[in-house]
Amino acid sequence: MTAAVAERDTLARTWGTRRGVVGWLTTVDHKTIGLRFIGTALFFLALGGALALMMRTQLARPDNHLLSPQLYNQFFTMHGTTMMFLFAVPAMMGLGVYLVPLMIGTRNVIFPRLLAYAYWVYLFGGLFLYSGLLTGNGPPAGWFSYTPLSESMFDPTKGSDIWAQTITYTEVSMLGVAVTLIITILKQRAPGMSLNRIPLFVWSMLVTSFMVVFAMTTIATASMMLAADRLINTRFFVEPAGGDPLLWQHFFWLFGHPEVYIIFLPATGLMSHLITTFSRRPVFGYTAIVFATIATGIISFGVWVHHMFATGLPQLGLSFFTASSLIVTIPTAIQLFCWIATLWSGRPQWRVPLLFVLGFFFILVRGGLTGIMLASVPFDLQTHDTFFVVGHLHDVLIGGAVFPLLGALFYWYPKFTGRMPSEIAGRWAFALIFIGQNLTFFPMHILGLHGMPRRTYTYLASTGWGTLNQLETIGSYILALGVLVTVANLILSAFRGRMAGDNPWGAETLEWATASPPPPGNFVLLPVVGSRAPNWDQRPDDRPVVTGLPLDRREVLFTTALDAVPARRIELPGPSAWTLVAAVGTTIGLVMLIFNPWGLVVAALLAAAPFIAWAWPKADGSS
Amino acid sequence: MIRHPKTIDASALPTEGFGVASSTWWGTLGFMVIEGSTLVLCAMAYTYLSRRSPLWPPSGTPLPSLLIGTVVVAVLLVSLVPAFLLHRAAKRMDRGAVLLLLLIGAVVEAIVIVLRAYELHALPMRWDGTAYGSTVWFTLGAHTTLLVLDFGESLVFGVLFLKGPIAKRHFADVADSAMYWFFIVLTWVPLYFMLYVSPHLF
Repeated sequence: MTAAVAERDTLARTWGTRRGVVGWLTTVDHKTIGLRFIGTALFFLALGGALALMMRTQLARPDNHLLSPQLYNQFFTMHGTTMMFLFAVPAMMGLGVYLVPLMIGTRNVIFPRLLAYAYWVYLFGGLFLYSGLLTGNGPPAGWFSYTPLSESMFDPTKGSDIWAQTITYTEVSMLGVAVTLIITILKQRAPGMSLNRIPLFVWSMLVTSFMVVFAMTTIATASMMLAADRLINTRFFVEPAGGDPLLWQHFFWLFGHPEVYIIFLPATGLMSHLITTFSRRPVFGYTAIVFATIATGIISFGVWVHHMFATGLPQLGLSFFTASSLIVTIPTAIQLFCWIATLWSGRPQWRVPLLFVLGFFFILVRGGLTGIMLASVPFDLQTHDTFFVVGHLHDVLIGGAVFPLLGALFYWYPKFTGRMPSEIAGRWAFALIFIGQNLTFFPMHILGLHGMPRRTYTYLASTGWGTLNQLETIGSYILALGVLVTVANLILSAFRGRMAGDNPWGAETLEWATASPPPPGNFVLLPVVGSRAPNWDQRPDDRPVVTGLPLDRREVLFTTALDAVPARRIELPGPSAWTLVAAVGTTIGLVMLIFNPWGLVVAALLAAAPFIAWAWPKADGSS
Repeated sequence: MIRHPKTIDASALPTEGFGVASSTWWGTLGFMVIEGSTLVLCAMAYTYLSRRSPLWPPSGTPLPSLLIGTVVVAVLLVSLVPAFLLHRAAKRMDRGAVLLLLLIGAVVEAIVIVLRAYELHALPMRWDGTAYGSTVWFTLGAHTTLLVLDFGESLVFGVLFLKGPIAKRHFADVADSAMYWFFIVLTWVPLYFMLYVSPHLF
């Protein structure tokens, strides 16, 4: 047995996940949990997509009664809530959970048990939301759950309670992931990976995680106020008692607009990697892209009122928010020009991920331009609550986040599974999704300009909107077919794809410097970094490494936040069943909280006891 | 062991650390940012609704007792003394002193929680009458949750230091817990001014 094999075996024993159900339930490996986040998010994408298809089928012709108005309300609420809270953010954070430790050259995240807990809470929260729909208690007041529509007097069902509680679940989960990623990125980077050498996706996850901390706290607090209004008759959003429904809108959009960037910024990080790899040159304007990412993160907290132009707020305030909404496009434009410059001066290889990049350019830029139109108050007042806004937001979110995400799944698939996805199926999927997206969402702008209102379950034949709606419905089925081809490709290639090797795309960053899929503990010896592109600048046999870390303990390096100088060794906790127990306890308490305020105490107690158990040291002082 | 061309030898690096070298310190900081933001949002709701209302508190609503609020904030400020000493003892890794100060801290926290319960009991309005009452109760409730949380943590650390196997890192954890108590006390000061003093000024 060679020394290398012996080292690998020791690492596998120390960092590996136990076989069987127990191992499956107790794992704290960031790769497993990251893939679970991504897989579960895709599952919810399918559910949210199915709801969308039913709504499109309902709207395919005028005077249609396939869905009742009540069910239509529940479907669009569930669709939006699913796509924002259960698909987009968890998918991006899941990619971060999988990729960040590999990209910064460490073995696991700083709080692996918190991560495992966060996953379970997210899963249970999502299932809980759908249990509401299945029992006739689907939330009906929109993904933003505007008061007073979501107050007890207008929604006497449990729908809005379930909505508010789902928010609590997903926010607890995402806050746990965000804090874990921030500290992992700041303190566990490979020696030599100073701030100016951090891969751009890691930068985007760092900024996004900070945004999650502030934005998700806002919505979690506001949704607790809403839940209290419904459960114990507080009066936060009730006008006659001195409350104000607009307070809810302020809080919601103070979260809601940064939320768009919480989805978009990781996508920009993904874009930088796809473009760099397939342009065969380092990214143009690394520093500009980093500053643009940070600037977007900050400015995005100052634009929320543009969602409220039609609420009768003072004119002077509105002009400020028009200005800030225009300003926030500048850093995005800077990034776009950097990417174009990279492609322009590189030698682009038109593989599937780069096709999705092109789709991103086309659709996101269109969404950005209609966004600039909507930032203007007079235009917004005309198109508010019409399908123009639906077209705009789907251009931004599908073009800006789903296209990069699909490109990224294709790109990192060899790392996840060790096998290559089918290029031909990938091209078909791209074509179907691109055509489907445009066919579905472009006509919505025209319908919106013609005055077709959103969130209305049908329309009269005399409006003349039938043809375009039919076209959109056909487009939505083509889009769904494209997603199906993608999913089939991802599943089948896991068995039939050709073996990938460590670095099939010839990429520059550290995740490609280890095996595919990465072994337990990620790297046999932790890497040391001397540039932004370690794989391009150093031959595999000439790469410096860290020695002296015991392989039989879960030890990683703690480095300084700015320059990544090794400061100490730190032992990370191993697998624990208490993470799942705590998540089940939290779930029981939060479900109770819908019916009884004492659920809060139950949730606290049922979660706190396992938390103490998981933190309690073993006899040898380890966790 | 394979020979590698350029290596960094980590074997001599320390395995323990306080402050920025402790993972708990960073975790506590993250928790403080999240909880601090929650309290800021409570204050935002309070000030927003007060600006929207012609009379604040609404006419006929009595003000909460300045005396009780002031006593609670004073006791909270006094409790910083044992927290400060605990932080120092933890950094010295003096197990006896840490245990003693943890117990003193827990007693002080218990006193604060009892006083807080009385403070809530003595509020002259309910949460379901007006939005004013809702924000006062919500803000006090959010902060009380933190008090109870830290009290529980003190008890757990007390038992750990009394009975459990102690590693060096547990001293770092106790130091971070003391830092968290500072956070709880100092965030209450502006909220105290908002809830108890500002209605007399504006």
